[in-house]
Amino acid sequence: MTCSSVDLKAYMLGELQENEKGLVAAHVRECASCGEEMERLSLTHLALTSLRDEEVPRRIAFVSDKVFEPRWWQRMWHSGPAMGFASAALLACAILAHGYMRPAPMVGPSSTVNTAAVEQRVAAQVNDRVGSIVAAAVAKAVADTEARQDRKTTELLADAEKKFDLERKEDRLATEANLEIIRKEQAQMYMASSGLEVRP
Amino acid sequence: MIFREVEDRDLIAKARRGDVDAYGILVSRWEKRIFNYLLRLVGNREEAMDLSQDVFLKAWQNLKKLEDADRFSSWLFRIAHNEAFSLLRKNRPETSLTADPTVADRGARFYPVELTLAVQSALTRLSDDQREAVLLKVYQGFKFEEMAEILGCPVSTIKSRLYAALDLLKDTLAPIGARGVQ
Repeated sequence: MTCSSVDLKAYMLGELQENEKGLVAAHVRECASCGEEMERLSLTHLALTSLRDEEVPRRIAFVSDKVFEPRWWQRMWHSGPAMGFASAALLACAILAHGYMRPAPMVGPSSTVNTAAVEQRVAAQVNDRVGSIVAAAVAKAVADTEARQDRKTTELLADAEKKFDLERKEDRLATEANLEIIRKEQAQMYMASSGLEVRP
Repeated sequence: MIFREVEDRDLIAKARRGDVDAYGILVSRWEKRIFNYLLRLVGNREEAMDLSQDVFLKAWQNLKKLEDADRFSSWLFRIAHNEAFSLLRKNRPETSLTADPTVADRGARFYPVELTLAVQSALTRLSDDQREAVLLKVYQGFKFEEMAEILGCPVSTIKSRLYAALDLLKDTLAPIGARGVQ
Protein backbone atom coordinates (compact mmCIF):
# COMPACT_ATOMS: atom_id res chain seq x y z
CA MET A 1 0.00 0.00 0.00
CA THR A 2 1.40 3.41 -0.97
CA CYS A 3 0.99 6.72 0.90
CA SER A 4 -1.23 8.14 -1.84
CA SER A 5 -3.65 5.23 -1.61
CA VAL A 6 -4.01 5.44 2.15
CA ASP A 7 -7.08 7.37 3.35
CA LEU A 8 -5.95 8.36 6.84
CA LYS A 9 -8.91 10.66 7.44
CA ALA A 10 -11.43 7.95 6.60
CA TYR A 11 -9.48 5.62 8.90
CA MET A 12 -9.54 8.17 11.73
CA LEU A 13 -13.27 8.84 11.20
CA GLY A 14 -14.16 5.13 11.28
CA GLU A 15 -15.41 4.93 7.71
CA LEU A 16 -13.22 2.02 6.55
CA GLN A 17 -14.08 -1.65 6.37
CA GLU A 18 -12.26 -4.08 8.66
CA ASN A 19 -9.83 -5.31 5.99
CA GLU A 20 -9.00 -1.72 4.96
CA LYS A 21 -8.41 -0.76 8.56
CA GLY A 22 -5.80 -3.51 8.91
CA LEU A 23 -3.94 -2.40 5.79
CA VAL A 24 -3.90 1.26 6.84
CA ALA A 25 -2.79 0.40 10.37
CA ALA A 26 0.06 -1.68 8.99
CA HIS A 27 1.11 1.12 6.64
CA VAL A 28 1.03 3.72 9.39
CA ARG A 29 3.33 1.58 11.55
CA GLU A 30 5.85 1.33 8.73
CA CYS A 31 5.61 4.83 7.16
CA ALA A 32 6.97 7.68 9.36
CA SER A 33 5.29 10.55 7.47
CA CYS A 34 1.92 8.82 7.46
CA GLY A 35 2.44 7.99 11.15
CA GLU A 36 3.04 11.68 11.95
CA GLU A 37 0.03 12.72 9.87
CA MET A 38 -2.05 10.14 11.68
CA GLU A 39 -0.93 11.51 15.03
CA ARG A 40 -1.84 15.08 14.04
CA LEU A 41 -5.26 13.95 12.91
CA SER A 42 -5.80 12.02 16.13
CA LEU A 43 -4.80 15.06 18.22
CA THR A 44 -7.19 17.21 16.18
CA HIS A 45 -9.99 14.73 16.75
CA LEU A 46 -9.14 14.61 20.45
CA ALA A 47 -9.30 18.40 20.69
CA LEU A 48 -12.60 18.50 18.83
CA THR A 49 -14.22 15.87 21.02
CA SER A 50 -13.15 17.76 24.14
CA LEU A 51 -15.91 20.21 23.35
CA ARG A 52 -18.77 19.15 25.59
CA ASP A 53 -22.43 19.37 24.71
CA GLU A 54 -24.24 22.25 26.36
CA GLU A 55 -27.49 21.74 28.16
CA VAL A 56 -30.52 23.17 26.45
CA PRO A 57 -31.06 26.55 28.19
CA ARG A 58 -34.78 26.01 28.43
CA ARG A 59 -36.94 23.12 27.52
CA ILE A 60 -38.25 23.08 23.98
CA ALA A 61 -41.71 24.54 24.36
CA PHE A 62 -43.64 21.59 23.19
CA VAL A 63 -46.42 20.32 25.42
CA SER A 64 -46.92 23.72 27.04
CA ASP A 65 -46.74 25.59 23.76
CA LYS A 66 -50.11 26.62 22.38
CA VAL A 67 -48.86 25.88 18.90
CA PHE A 68 -48.79 22.19 19.65
CA GLU A 69 -52.12 22.01 21.36
CA PRO A 70 -55.01 20.89 19.20
CA ARG A 71 -57.29 23.76 18.34
CA TRP A 72 -60.72 24.02 19.97
CA TRP A 73 -62.46 22.71 16.89
CA GLN A 74 -60.01 19.79 16.66
CA ARG A 75 -60.67 18.87 20.28
CA MET A 76 -64.42 19.16 19.74
CA TRP A 77 -64.28 17.20 16.49
CA HIS A 78 -62.62 14.28 18.26
CA SER A 79 -64.99 14.40 21.25
CA GLY A 80 -68.30 12.60 20.73
CA PRO A 81 -70.18 14.08 23.71
CA ALA A 82 -68.92 17.56 22.98
CA MET A 83 -69.91 17.22 19.35
CA GLY A 84 -73.36 15.99 20.38
CA PHE A 85 -73.75 18.87 22.80
CA ALA A 86 -72.65 21.33 20.13
CA SER A 87 -75.12 19.86 17.66
CA ALA A 88 -77.94 20.13 20.18
CA ALA A 89 -76.95 23.72 20.98
CA LEU A 90 -76.83 24.56 17.29
CA LEU A 91 -80.26 23.05 16.75
CA ALA A 92 -81.66 24.99 19.70
CA CYS A 93 -80.16 28.21 18.34
CA ALA A 94 -81.66 27.51 14.93
CA ILE A 95 -85.10 26.97 16.44
CA LEU A 96 -84.85 30.16 18.48
CA ALA A 97 -83.60 32.13 15.48
CA HIS A 98 -86.44 30.80 13.38
CA GLY A 99 -88.92 31.75 16.07
CA TYR A 100 -87.60 35.31 16.25
CA MET A 101 -87.01 35.87 12.55
CA ARG A 102 -90.20 34.52 10.96
CA PRO A 103 -92.95 37.07 10.01
CA ALA A 104 -95.39 38.07 12.75
CA PRO A 105 -98.73 36.27 12.56
CA MET A 106 -101.73 38.26 11.17
CA VAL A 107 -103.97 37.59 14.15
CA GLY A 108 -103.10 40.74 16.02
CA PRO A 109 -100.52 43.37 16.76
CA SER A 110 -98.86 41.43 19.49
CA SER A 111 -95.63 39.82 18.40
CA THR A 112 -96.02 37.11 20.95
CA VAL A 113 -97.83 34.01 19.85
CA ASN A 114 -100.79 32.92 21.98
CA THR A 115 -100.59 29.28 21.16
CA ALA A 116 -103.61 28.41 23.35
CA ALA A 117 -105.87 30.83 21.48
CA VAL A 118 -104.56 29.60 18.14
CA GLU A 119 -105.16 26.04 19.16
CA GLN A 120 -108.66 26.88 20.41
CA ARG A 121 -109.48 28.71 17.20
CA VAL A 122 -108.13 25.92 15.04
CA ALA A 123 -110.05 23.36 17.12
CA ALA A 124 -113.27 25.34 16.72
CA GLN A 125 -112.75 25.62 12.97
CA VAL A 126 -112.00 21.96 12.74
CA ASN A 127 -115.05 21.11 14.85
CA ASP A 128 -117.30 23.34 12.73
CA ARG A 129 -115.98 21.87 9.53
CA VAL A 130 -116.19 18.32 10.77
CA GLY A 131 -119.67 18.99 12.25
CA SER A 132 -121.00 20.35 8.98
CA ILE A 133 -119.54 17.47 7.01
CA VAL A 134 -120.90 14.93 9.45
CA ALA A 135 -124.29 16.62 9.54
CA ALA A 136 -124.49 16.67 5.76
CA ALA A 137 -123.48 13.06 5.61
CA VAL A 138 -126.04 12.12 8.26
CA ALA A 139 -128.76 14.12 6.54
CA LYS A 140 -127.96 12.48 3.24
CA ALA A 141 -127.96 9.07 4.84
CA VAL A 142 -131.26 9.76 6.59
CA ALA A 143 -132.82 11.08 3.40
CA ASP A 144 -131.65 8.03 1.50
CA THR A 145 -133.00 5.78 4.19
CA GLU A 146 -136.33 7.62 4.30
CA ALA A 147 -136.61 7.50 0.56
CA ARG A 148 -135.93 3.80 0.60
CA GLN A 149 -138.51 3.39 3.38
CA ASP A 150 -141.06 5.48 1.48
CA ARG A 151 -140.54 3.44 -1.64
CA LYS A 152 -140.90 0.26 0.35
CA THR A 153 -144.03 1.52 2.13
CA THR A 154 -145.55 2.63 -1.15
CA GLU A 155 -144.82 -0.74 -2.67
CA LEU A 156 -146.27 -2.50 0.38
CA LEU A 157 -149.39 -0.30 0.29
CA ALA A 158 -149.82 -0.90 -3.41
CA ASP A 159 -149.46 -4.61 -2.85
CA ALA A 160 -151.94 -4.47 0.03
CA GLU A 161 -154.49 -2.46 -1.92
CA LYS A 162 -154.20 -4.84 -4.83
CA LYS A 163 -154.68 -7.73 -2.48
CA PHE A 164 -157.64 -6.06 -0.81
CA ASP A 165 -159.22 -5.29 -4.20
CA LEU A 166 -158.90 -8.91 -5.21
CA GLU A 167 -160.37 -10.00 -1.89
CA ARG A 168 -163.19 -7.49 -2.21
CA LYS A 169 -163.95 -8.72 -5.71
CA GLU A 170 -163.95 -12.28 -4.52
CA ASP A 171 -166.23 -11.35 -1.60
CA ARG A 172 -168.65 -9.45 -3.88
CA LEU A 173 -168.80 -12.28 -6.32
CA ALA A 174 -169.39 -14.69 -3.47
CA THR A 175 -172.06 -12.43 -2.00
CA GLU A 176 -173.78 -11.99 -5.34
CA ALA A 177 -173.67 -15.77 -5.83
CA ASN A 178 -175.14 -16.36 -2.38
CA LEU A 179 -177.87 -13.71 -2.97
CA GLU A 180 -178.80 -15.44 -6.25
CA ILE A 181 -179.06 -18.74 -4.43
CA ILE A 182 -181.21 -17.14 -1.72
CA ARG A 183 -183.49 -15.46 -4.29
CA LYS A 184 -183.97 -18.75 -6.02
CA GLU A 185 -184.80 -20.53 -2.80
CA GLN A 186 -187.33 -17.79 -1.81
CA ALA A 187 -188.94 -18.03 -5.22
CA GLN A 188 -189.32 -21.82 -4.91
CA MET A 189 -190.71 -21.44 -1.42
CA TYR A 190 -193.25 -18.83 -2.67
CA MET A 191 -194.39 -20.99 -5.59
CA ALA A 192 -194.65 -24.00 -3.37
CA SER A 193 -196.83 -22.17 -0.91
CA SER A 194 -199.07 -20.74 -3.59
CA GLY A 195 -199.46 -24.08 -5.49
CA LEU A 196 -197.92 -22.74 -8.58
CA GLU A 197 -195.77 -24.85 -10.82
CA VAL A 198 -192.16 -24.12 -10.35
CA ARG A 199 -190.36 -23.51 -13.57
CA PRO A 200 -186.61 -24.14 -13.50
CA MET B 1 -29.17 1.14 21.29
CA ILE B 2 -31.51 -1.21 19.48
CA PHE B 3 -34.01 -0.89 22.33
CA ARG B 4 -33.82 2.89 22.04
CA GLU B 5 -34.45 2.74 18.28
CA VAL B 6 -37.48 0.49 18.74
CA GLU B 7 -38.88 2.84 21.32
CA ASP B 8 -38.33 5.80 19.04
CA ARG B 9 -40.19 4.00 16.27
CA ASP B 10 -43.12 3.35 18.59
CA LEU B 11 -43.15 6.97 19.70
CA ILE B 12 -43.07 8.14 16.10
CA ALA B 13 -46.01 5.86 15.26
CA LYS B 14 -48.00 7.25 18.19
CA ALA B 15 -47.04 10.83 17.36
CA ARG B 16 -48.20 10.28 13.79
CA ARG B 17 -51.62 9.44 15.20
CA GLY B 18 -51.63 12.76 17.04
CA ASP B 19 -50.27 11.61 20.38
CA VAL B 20 -48.72 14.81 21.73
CA ASP B 21 -47.24 13.11 24.79
CA ALA B 22 -45.37 10.60 22.64
CA TYR B 23 -43.91 13.41 20.58
CA GLY B 24 -42.99 15.25 23.77
CA ILE B 25 -40.87 12.28 24.82
CA LEU B 26 -39.29 12.21 21.40
CA VAL B 27 -38.43 15.90 21.67
CA SER B 28 -36.87 15.45 25.09
CA ARG B 29 -34.63 12.72 23.66
CA TRP B 30 -33.36 14.71 20.70
CA GLU B 31 -33.46 18.33 21.82
CA LYS B 32 -29.93 18.36 23.28
CA ARG B 33 -28.32 16.96 20.15
CA ILE B 34 -30.27 19.26 17.86
CA PHE B 35 -29.59 22.30 20.04
CA ASN B 36 -25.83 21.67 20.19
CA TYR B 37 -25.64 21.01 16.47
CA LEU B 38 -27.43 24.28 15.78
CA LEU B 39 -25.44 26.17 18.42
CA ARG B 40 -22.10 25.15 16.88
CA LEU B 41 -23.42 25.92 13.45
CA VAL B 42 -24.90 29.38 14.03
CA GLY B 43 -22.82 30.29 17.11
CA ASN B 44 -25.61 32.00 19.05
CA ARG B 45 -27.58 30.45 21.91
CA GLU B 46 -30.81 32.37 21.44
CA GLU B 47 -30.86 31.72 17.73
CA ALA B 48 -29.98 28.08 18.30
CA MET B 49 -32.84 27.84 20.78
CA ASP B 50 -35.31 29.48 18.40
CA LEU B 51 -34.14 27.26 15.58
CA SER B 52 -34.51 24.18 17.76
CA GLN B 53 -38.07 25.20 18.48
CA ASP B 54 -38.76 25.65 14.78
CA VAL B 55 -37.15 22.31 13.95
CA PHE B 56 -39.37 20.37 16.34
CA LEU B 57 -42.45 22.29 15.26
CA LYS B 58 -41.80 21.50 11.59
CA ALA B 59 -41.00 17.91 12.45
CA TRP B 60 -44.36 17.61 14.22
CA GLN B 61 -46.21 19.19 11.32
CA ASN B 62 -44.52 16.95 8.75
CA LEU B 63 -44.21 13.74 10.72
CA LYS B 64 -46.69 11.94 8.47
CA LYS B 65 -44.40 12.60 5.50
CA LEU B 66 -41.60 10.60 7.14
CA GLU B 67 -41.64 7.37 5.15
CA ASP B 68 -39.21 5.31 7.24
CA ALA B 69 -39.32 5.76 11.01
CA ASP B 70 -35.81 4.25 11.27
CA ARG B 71 -34.46 7.27 9.43
CA PHE B 72 -35.94 9.73 11.91
CA SER B 73 -32.54 11.08 13.03
CA SER B 74 -31.38 11.83 9.47
CA TRP B 75 -34.75 13.35 8.68
CA LEU B 76 -34.68 15.52 11.83
CA PHE B 77 -31.14 16.76 11.16
CA ARG B 78 -32.16 17.50 7.58
CA ILE B 79 -34.83 19.83 8.92
CA ALA B 80 -32.30 21.36 11.31
CA HIS B 81 -29.83 21.85 8.46
CA ASN B 82 -32.46 23.63 6.35
CA GLU B 83 -33.51 25.87 9.23
CA ALA B 84 -29.93 26.75 10.13
CA PHE B 85 -28.87 27.59 6.60
CA SER B 86 -31.95 29.74 6.01
CA LEU B 87 -30.81 31.79 8.98
CA LEU B 88 -27.14 31.78 8.00
CA ARG B 89 -27.96 32.98 4.51
CA LYS B 90 -30.12 35.73 5.97
CA ASN B 91 -27.83 37.19 8.63
CA ARG B 92 -24.47 35.46 8.43
CA PRO B 93 -22.34 38.46 9.60
CA GLU B 94 -24.24 38.79 12.87
CA THR B 95 -24.05 35.18 13.99
CA SER B 96 -20.33 34.52 14.23
CA LEU B 97 -18.72 33.73 17.53
CA THR B 98 -16.29 36.21 18.95
CA ALA B 99 -13.16 34.28 18.20
CA ASP B 100 -9.91 34.79 20.08
CA PRO B 101 -7.14 34.15 17.57
CA THR B 102 -4.43 34.45 20.19
CA VAL B 103 -5.61 31.40 22.12
CA ALA B 104 -4.09 28.88 19.77
CA ASP B 105 -0.75 30.67 19.75
CA ARG B 106 -0.06 30.29 23.44
CA GLY B 107 2.73 27.94 24.36
CA ALA B 108 1.41 26.97 27.79
CA ARG B 109 -0.84 24.02 28.61
CA PHE B 110 -4.53 24.63 28.11
CA TYR B 111 -7.26 24.80 30.69
CA PRO B 112 -10.53 23.11 29.69
CA VAL B 113 -12.22 26.47 29.18
CA GLU B 114 -9.38 27.67 26.99
CA LEU B 115 -9.45 24.46 24.97
CA THR B 116 -13.17 24.89 24.48
CA LEU B 117 -12.65 28.43 23.27
CA ALA B 118 -9.86 27.28 20.96
CA VAL B 119 -12.03 24.62 19.41
CA GLN B 120 -14.95 27.01 19.06
CA SER B 121 -12.63 29.56 17.48
CA ALA B 122 -11.20 27.00 15.07
CA LEU B 123 -14.69 25.89 14.08
CA THR B 124 -15.78 29.45 13.33
CA ARG B 125 -12.91 29.83 10.89
CA LEU B 126 -14.38 27.10 8.72
CA SER B 127 -16.95 27.77 6.05
CA ASP B 128 -20.53 26.93 7.00
CA ASP B 129 -20.48 23.82 4.81
CA GLN B 130 -17.19 22.60 6.24
CA ARG B 131 -18.23 23.25 9.82
CA GLU B 132 -21.50 21.44 9.33
CA ALA B 133 -19.68 18.43 7.91
CA VAL B 134 -17.47 18.31 11.00
CA LEU B 135 -20.46 18.68 13.33
CA LEU B 136 -22.41 15.86 11.70
CA LYS B 137 -19.43 13.52 11.55
CA VAL B 138 -17.42 14.22 14.71
CA TYR B 139 -20.18 15.28 17.11
CA GLN B 140 -23.23 13.46 15.78
CA GLY B 141 -21.49 10.33 14.48
CA PHE B 142 -23.35 10.08 11.16
CA LYS B 143 -21.95 7.94 8.36
CA PHE B 144 -21.02 9.55 5.04
CA GLU B 145 -24.19 8.16 3.41
CA GLU B 146 -26.38 9.58 6.16
CA MET B 147 -24.65 12.95 5.88
CA ALA B 148 -25.25 12.93 2.14
CA GLU B 149 -28.94 12.30 2.84
CA ILE B 150 -29.14 15.08 5.41
CA LEU B 151 -27.30 17.63 3.32
CA GLY B 152 -28.76 16.54 0.00
CA CYS B 153 -25.44 16.18 -1.82
CA PRO B 154 -23.14 13.34 -2.99
CA VAL B 155 -20.83 11.46 -0.63
CA SER B 156 -17.87 12.76 -2.62
CA THR B 157 -18.89 16.32 -1.79
CA ILE B 158 -19.26 15.40 1.87
CA LYS B 159 -15.78 13.88 1.96
CA SER B 160 -14.29 16.86 0.16
CA ARG B 161 -15.79 19.32 2.65
CA LEU B 162 -14.85 17.22 5.65
CA TYR B 163 -11.29 16.53 4.58
CA ALA B 164 -10.69 20.19 3.79
CA ALA B 165 -12.08 21.10 7.21
CA LEU B 166 -9.84 18.57 8.95
CA ASP B 167 -6.77 19.98 7.18
CA LEU B 168 -7.63 23.46 8.44
CA LEU B 169 -8.48 22.30 11.95
CA LYS B 170 -5.34 20.18 12.14
CA ASP B 171 -3.11 23.21 11.74
CA THR B 172 -4.79 24.93 14.69
CA LEU B 173 -5.80 22.15 17.00
CA ALA B 174 -3.08 19.52 16.62
CA PRO B 175 -0.49 21.70 18.46
CA ILE B 176 -3.01 22.31 21.25
CA GLY B 177 -3.77 18.62 21.56
CA ALA B 178 -0.03 17.91 21.65
CA ARG B 179 0.45 20.30 24.59
CA GLY B 180 -2.39 18.64 26.44
CA VAL B 181 -4.99 19.92 28.83
CA GLN B 182 -4.11 21.12 32.32
